[in-house]
This record gives sequence, structure tokens and C-alpha cells, in this order.
Amino acid sequence: MSSRAEPVTAASGVHKRRGLLTWVSRDGLSTFAFLLPLLLIFGTFSWFPIVRSFVMSVQHTNLVSPPTWVGLDNFATVLSDPLFGKSVANTIYFALLALIIGYPIPLALAVIMSETRRFKGLYSALAYLPVVVPPVVAVLLWKVFYKGGPNGAFNSILGNVGLGPIQWLGDAAMAMPAVVVEATWAAFGGTVIIYLAALLSVPPELYDAAEVDGASILQKIRYVTLPHMRGILFITLILQLIATAQIFTEPFLLTEGGPANATTTVLLLIYQYGFGSSLGGHFGEAAALSLMLAAFLGVFTAVYFWLTRSWSTES
Amino acid sequence: MKLQLPFRHSRKSLPTAQRGIISLADWHKRRIRWSVQSLHAVTLIGLLIVGLGPILWLAKAAVTPTQDTLRQPMALWPNGFNLDLLVQTFTKVHIERFFMNTVWIAIGSWLCQITVATSAGYALSVLRPRGSRILYGMILGTMFVPSVVLLVPLYLTVLDLPLVNIKLVDTFWAVWLPAGASAFNVVIIKRFFDNLPREIFEAAQVDGAGPFRLFWSIVLPMSRPIVGVVSVFAVIATWKDYLWPKLVLPSLAVQPLSVRLPDLERGIQLDLFLASLAVATLFPIALFLMFQRMFLSGGALSGAIKG
Amino acid sequence: MTVKPIRAKALTMAALAMFAVSACSSSSATTAPATTPTTAPNATPVASAAAADTHKATTITVGALRPGATQEAVDALNSQISQFTAKYPWITVTSVEYNWTAPTFAAQLAGGTLPTVFNIPFTDGKGLIAQHQIVNIDARVRALPYVTKFNPNVLVNGQDTDGKIFAVPYSAYGNALTYNRTLFTQAGLDPDKPPTTWDEVKADAKIIATKIPGVAGFATMATQNTGGWQITDMTYALGGRMEAVDAKTGKVSATVNNAQTKAALAYLHGLRWDDNSMGATFDYNWGTINADFAAGQIGMFTGGSDLYTAMVQNNALKPADYGVTIIPLATDPNAGVLGGGNLAAVSVLTTEDQRDAAVDWIDFYYIERLITQDGAVADAQALKANNQPVGVPSLPVFDKATYDQSQLWIKDYINVPTAQMAPFTSKIFSEPLFVEPLYNTQDLYATLDPVVQAVLTDKNADINALLDAANVKVQKIIDTPAS
Repeated sequence: MSSRAEPVTAASGVHKRRGLLTWVSRDGLSTFAFLLPLLLIFGTFSWFPIVRSFVMSVQHTNLVSPPTWVGLDNFATVLSDPLFGKSVANTIYFALLALIIGYPIPLALAVIMSETRRFKGLYSALAYLPVVVPPVVAVLLWKVFYKGGPNGAFNSILGNVGLGPIQWLGDAAMAMPAVVVEATWAAFGGTVIIYLAALLSVPPELYDAAEVDGASILQKIRYVTLPHMRGILFITLILQLIATAQIFTEPFLLTEGGPANATTTVLLLIYQYGFGSSLGGHFGEAAALSLMLAAFLGVFTAVYFWLTRSWSTES
Repeated sequence: MKLQLPFRHSRKSLPTAQRGIISLADWHKRRIRWSVQSLHAVTLIGLLIVGLGPILWLAKAAVTPTQDTLRQPMALWPNGFNLDLLVQTFTKVHIERFFMNTVWIAIGSWLCQITVATSAGYALSVLRPRGSRILYGMILGTMFVPSVVLLVPLYLTVLDLPLVNIKLVDTFWAVWLPAGASAFNVVIIKRFFDNLPREIFEAAQVDGAGPFRLFWSIVLPMSRPIVGVVSVFAVIATWKDYLWPKLVLPSLAVQPLSVRLPDLERGIQLDLFLASLAVATLFPIALFLMFQRMFLSGGALSGAIKG
Repeated sequence: MTVKPIRAKALTMAALAMFAVSACSSSSATTAPATTPTTAPNATPVASAAAADTHKATTITVGALRPGATQEAVDALNSQISQFTAKYPWITVTSVEYNWTAPTFAAQLAGGTLPTVFNIPFTDGKGLIAQHQIVNIDARVRALPYVTKFNPNVLVNGQDTDGKIFAVPYSAYGNALTYNRTLFTQAGLDPDKPPTTWDEVKADAKIIATKIPGVAGFATMATQNTGGWQITDMTYALGGRMEAVDAKTGKVSATVNNAQTKAALAYLHGLRWDDNSMGATFDYNWGTINADFAAGQIGMFTGGSDLYTAMVQNNALKPADYGVTIIPLATDPNAGVLGGGNLAAVSVLTTEDQRDAAVDWIDFYYIERLITQDGAVADAQALKANNQPVGVPSLPVFDKATYDQSQLWIKDYINVPTAQMAPFTSKIFSEPLFVEPLYNTQDLYATLDPVVQAVLTDKNADINALLDAANVKVQKIIDTPAS
């Protein structure tokens, strides 16, 4: 990848590689020694499981009896499961809400924070603090905040201004937004930091030029800052979509997929297939659903790769 | 890919080397200055409430008896506080054990990731044996497979390691070794090595350095910055990981904090539970305050190339 | 054969129990699962006991402590372990924390990380046996002197279809109505006169919720299969059943959309939405409902009659708060108390020696306290010395006479507020008791969880439609052959 991105280096690399190659040819064993960790670890924990997930998706296995070939039955089972549609809808809903709630806020914050003259470090530290809290702690803490009665932390604040109490997690309509808000809280700091770095890469001359044309601050943001950040914005968008499609810890610990499956995401369903029944897993169905999700995410990943590639050569 | 991107902008150089959206001229206009400053004040207050507030609440709840937290969650110690709760997180919950498990998991995962990534990066970038392009392609390919897909097959793999039939479940190895299979690490380290000047390698070769010597004495010392980046990712990832350790480390003796804490929710009373959460948060926050710059630049980098 | 106070009315139950008895008398074991020990079925452990001197050093792990147990509970177990190792010096016992929950058990099972001896609820016995995931310990258990005294209706949960014993029942409970006496008093109710009908439960719940803001008058579990469990509990109390077996064909039909389950859900709907007396937490599981009850957040809830122990060990329950009474039963002739209990089982990943040792441990730790005076007294002493509850209401695992006898033995050690448990203990033995649905029980419960959640969190939940859909799903699970 990089060799294609930087043709000059690559050409010289080829030239010099020959010398290195002959040098190494005496030493094939040591090359192999350097490759060994890679081959062992990737072979066992990456390539083999990937192949295995394809195999498992067409098998029925419970780890006790020998696996049996079932063709596409697992896929059919998953597709006919009423929870499948529900979980896909929930995951899309989650992703959408996460975009609406979680996407503009970090950008606005970063733009504001990049203009601070004092306490710059304080702003970023405060924004980043939630990211530092271990995610499991964050979820469990928010679960306490979300306690439904009038004595819940959030509800007692609302109560002071005469609102609520709200059933944050105990209401099918509220549960997903509540999960998204928690997830956003836990993650927004990281995105802010990324945008702050990106804002620094906007060439100051562009602002100078805009000012010559008499642009106001908002116009500068609209016509200089945002266009320049288009690349990184799109990348964080893709990354966020990939991440939200795999959301697990938050709904698992906050709501266990409830109430009434209102927050059962695709990953939660995979988990339920594999590990949800006390009598042993439906690993085939879990593998089948995983592959379907992977195929879907592969598209996003490809877009992401394509983007980062052109973006990195640009900058 | 420019890896050094976020590192090059140090905080101090900002005001002089960089200008932002607002020009000096803008800044001199009273109306603009006033509105920008009040916007900043609002933002700061908002960040204080949102970023710090929940953590302060947790700190408060950690020394508040259950009944007070349940009845008046926002009140400050209406009936006094109970420092003994913090002691109990050690004497009753034994939080230090799970903390140490977390540390061990982090150290081992880090070591495994660094070993695999640097040796592989070196082999693929510097030694370049035949077929290394295919190998590299196979590594890149795994980046298209989201980790969730591997959940079940990887679980079955650590249950019964192929060929050798060893069960890794309930040992740290079940987390350490799979952590090493990070394509992302290999890719960024290889790219970094690609950019190292070849002349140095040739000079070393002329001096009679073998591949091991070259790796240990020249390549590794030169790659300290990128190894630092990978290290930060490795440690952060260990803190965040929940599902995988939950599956493969069911025994108390090996559980990290992230696996233990949710179980405590149903096992102990609320005040002690919140105290445990608070103690579990202390360490990462202390680390963050100590190495703030590293966290922030690492965070920026992670977004720029990984996410 | 049928013990007097336990009127086993369900045909299937009686049939199974008889099946079990007939299997006992037949000496030929025909279907030994592949994973069972290779010893001949009639190789009696008496032989191994005779060879006690030559026992090999064996280590077993036992899962007898719940996560988060207090130091006192740990100490109590440790003293029991040292008593055990004094008796069986060649066995080393390692204690691990273990708590059966439906979602974690599968991973532990698949991961082979279960202790050597672990407990499972009655509901999982048959499924695990069918999948060869627990060991046949028939010969070992049958060598124990008291094996014939097991209550057959209880023992059946750990037997395969041929009556071979794979798991040993050691505790049984009836579902009961647990209530907070302190909250009753605060609300102006008489804690010595707990409700005896569902209408009274409803009325009292409303009073508690109204008079004590922030407290749930009545709460119910809803996650990790406990929602399905408790709605089944209410269904049985109203006279309904979740499964039906065709007497001729043996075909099992799901009947979760029966009239009584609908009535039970409608009842909960009323408490939740008309009276607003169910508080604000609708995702309780077994552990969290105990925690909130102990924290004084819940007036009443239904659950096992033996919860006192867990709430003292884990949730710092104030004994004065605790009250338990019999679950209200409808006048329907089929109405009865849903029972339940625990089995001790042995992991398949064990050596022959470990299996011997495991049964020794089951005998010592789980059974002796129920059946011998020495065991009962030693157990009570150890528990009492460590401030652990002695005398928590349970149901007989053996015959009623043995149970009464054991209660007499430990009389002097009882440290629980028995008077507060009297509303339960004085009536339970005269009420009909039923075992849980026999087929795919936990899957059935899991399917009903979202239904219970929907009723509690969605005012417009369509109970009929939800139950019809759940019934289709359960039927599908029942029809899927066990792998």
C-alpha cells in the first residue's frame, strides 16, 4: 500500500531489496524465525477462525456430538427468526440515533475548543475524561443514573424542575435513546480529540484568504473549516457506523436487550445464539449471523480503506 | 500515511505557528470577543458537568450509605459518610486481585502484540522473503473481518487449540495470544519500517550485523515512537475489552475488573458496589492525569487511522 | 410412594416417578452414554470404599459459594471442607465461586470451566443428561445408604429416562411470596397478616406504593429467564400449565398462551399501569431483586422460599425486614405451588477417582446435613458459628418424616426469625406442590421474559398476541430434536 502511495521510495526500495535479499538468502532460517510469531498467532487466532466460521455456518455443532452438515439451514433459521429483523432494525436505529446525537456534538465542541486561548488542556482533559473511565464502569454507573423511580439520579434532577419521572430503561421507546446517550458520553471525547487534530491541519492561509473576501466567522467555518475536514468527517462517520453495528457492552449491561427486545442488537443476538441457552450454544446460527454481519460491514470497511488511502496520500 | 501527524503539533507552538478560524481582527471586535468568550465559558461549564460530573458523583456515592444513595441520590451525605466502604472494596470485594489480573492481562497482551507486530513488520518490510506480499495481503484481509465474526470460532479455538489440543480457557493466554493477531499493529509497524532509511541497514550489513542484530540494535531503537503508539493502543484496548475476557476467563482467579464488576452488581449491596466502581476508576484516571499528552495524541492517532 | 403432603397430580409426574421406581428395580443398564465412566454399572463403590487405604490423592473443585459471598460464608465453607478432608484425607478440596445463571452456564459448560461438583436447577437436569454433559453417577449414588429414601418426585429431576441417577437433589423449595415486614408496618399493614389472595396482594401493593414513595409495592423478576420462571409460578398458582403431554402419543405441546398465564399477565398489567404499584425497575433478575428487596425498595415479590440465605450472605438483609408467606392459590383444582430445587452434578471432564471423590463430597456436603443427625448438627454448628442462617424454610428432599426429624436435630441452632417465616412454613405442607415444566424449561422461560417485560414497560402490550407468538416459538424449540 505505502509502496504504491510513494512510488519514489518504492522504486529505490526494489533496487535495494535485491541486495538485502541475497543477504537474507544465506539466512532463510532467521527470516523464518521472524515470521514465526506472525504465522503462529495469525494462523491460530485469525486465519483459522475465519475459515472455521464459514465451516461452522453450514454445520450443526454443540461441542459434544460430532458436527453435522446442515447446508444453509442455519442461515434459514436465522432469517426466519422474528428476532433477526428486530435486531437489524434495532441496530440501524441505534446507528441512526448515535449519528444524530453523537456526530454533531464532538464537531461543534472541537471547533469551539480549537479557538480557546486559555485552559486549552483543561477543555480536552475534561472532554476526554469519560473515555478514560473503563467502559464497563461507565455503563454500570449510568445504569444507576437511569434508575427509573422518582429517586433515580436523573429523575431527581428532573424532579427539581417539575419533570419526570422518566422510565429511562424501563420503557421500550426510551431504552434505545438512553443506551445511545450513555454510549455517546463514553465516546465523544475521543472524537473531539481527533477533530481537534484535524482542525490544526487547516492551512491558516485559507482563513486569511477568506478574510480578504470579507468572510464572517460562521462563513469561515462553513466555507473553509468544514470543507477541509470533509475527509476526516467522512472517515469518522464510516468508523462510527462500523462500531455501532458491533455494539454490545452497552445494551448487554444496561438493558440485556430489553425491555421486550427493544435493545436487542445484532451482536446481542449472536451472543444469545452462541451463549444464551443454559443447555449449550447454537454455534451454527451464531456463525451464520456473524457472517451476514461481516458481509455487510465489509462494504463499509472497503470504503474506509479506500478513503484513508486517498486521504493519506493527500496530506 | 503520515503517522507523526498528531505528534508534530505541540501545544506550545499553537498560538504562534497556527491561527484558527478567528482572526486577530475578529478578536479585537468587542461583540465577537464577548460572544466567543461566553461560548467558551458555557462550553467549559458544560464539559465540567458532563465530563467531570458523573465521576464526582461516583466519588461521592463511593462513601455514601446505600439508603442515602437510593433515596436522595443528588444530596451530599445527608446522613454522614462511610469511609469504611473503600476499605471493604479491598477486604470484601478484593478489588486489588481483579485489578492485578487486569494489569497482567494488559502486560501480556502488550508483549504479545509488540512481539508479533515488530517481528512481522521487520520480516515483511526489511527482510522481505519470497511470498511476503501474499502474506501481507492475508494480514490486510483480516482487517475486513470484524472481530465479532470471530467470536464463536475463536472461542472454540481457545477451548481446544488445534493440533496441540491445549485448553486456554481460564488462563491469561486466552486473552494474550489472540490479542497478538492484530492486523492493524502489523500494518502500521510495517509502514513505519518501510520509511526507515535503507542506507542504515546496508551500513549495518557491511559492518557484519546479522538480521537479529540489525533488528535488536538498529530497527527496534529507531522505532520507539511507533512502538509507543502501539503500546498505548494495546493498553487502552485491554481496559475496554469486556465480551472476550468474559467468555474466556470465567474463573475468579483470572478475571479482570471489567468482567468482575458486572457480576458484583447482583452480588453485593449498592453502596459497596459503587465504591468498587469508584476504586476501579481511580487507576485509569490517575494514569490519564499523569500521561495526558500521550493519551490525547494517542487518541487522535487512533481515530486518524484505526477507530 | 407419593409422599402425603405432596399431592402429585400431574399425570406426567406420576408416570415419570413410577418409571423411575421401575428403573431402580431393574438391574440392567442398557444405555450408558458415551461419556460415562467405563466401569461396569454394577461395580459397586463398596469395593472402592474397602480399598480406602489405597486411595490415590485426588483434587476436586467445588462450587459452593456464590460470587460476592461474605467472609463469614467463606469461613463456614472452609470449616466444612476441613471436616471433609479429615474424613477423606486423600481428597483435596478447592473452593471456587459459582452461581448458576442461565446465560453464563452455557459458556462455562462449553468452556469446561465448571467445578468438579456444581449445582444446577431442577430445570436443567434432564437437558444436560440428554446431551451427555453431566456424568452418570448412578452406581456411586445407589451405594449410599439413604438412596431409597429420596422423595421420588424430587429425585426424578436428576434421572435419565431409564431412572439412572446423574445428579443428586439436595434442596427443594416452593415459590413463595416474600414481603418486607418493615415496609408493611410503615404502610399501616399488619406484617403478621400477609395477603392470602391475589386481590389482597394487589390492594396491599397499592397501599405500600402510595404511602411510601419510591418503593415498589409489588415487584417481579423479568430478565435472565426469571421473568418466564415467575410468570410460570403465577400461572401454576392460578391453575394453568405451560406444557401439555398427549397421553397417547407422548407429544409435547406448548401451552404458554393458556388462560391463566393471560390472567397473570393482565394482573401484572393492572398493578403496573392502573395502580402504578410496581415501582420503577422492570429488569430485575434473581440477584438484583434480592439486592433491592434487602435495600428496602420492594414490598412484595414472588420467588423461592429459601432466599433468606442469599440475601443475608450477599445483600446485608436486616432480618427484621424479612417475611415470607405462601403464594396465594386460586380455587381452581389445578392450582398449586410451583416447586423447584437444586441438583448437585459432576462434570464430565473428570477422572474416575475424581468422580468417586465428587460423590463423597456430595454425600458429605449436600446430603449428610439433610439425613443424619451428626451431619445436620455439624452443618448447623458450622453455619451458626459463622453467623450464617440456620433453619431457612425449604421442602423435603427425602420423605417428610426425615425432614421433620432433621428440623428437630437443628432446633437448638436455628438463628433465623422462624416466626416471620411461619406464614409459609405453617401452610406449605398442606398445599399441592408441582414441579416445573419438564421440557426445554429454561428456553420456555427465556421466551417468556420479553413478554413479561413488554407487559411491564408497554401500556399497550397485546398480551394475547405476545403469548401466541411465544407459544409458536416454544413449540418450535420443543420440536427441535436435542443435539
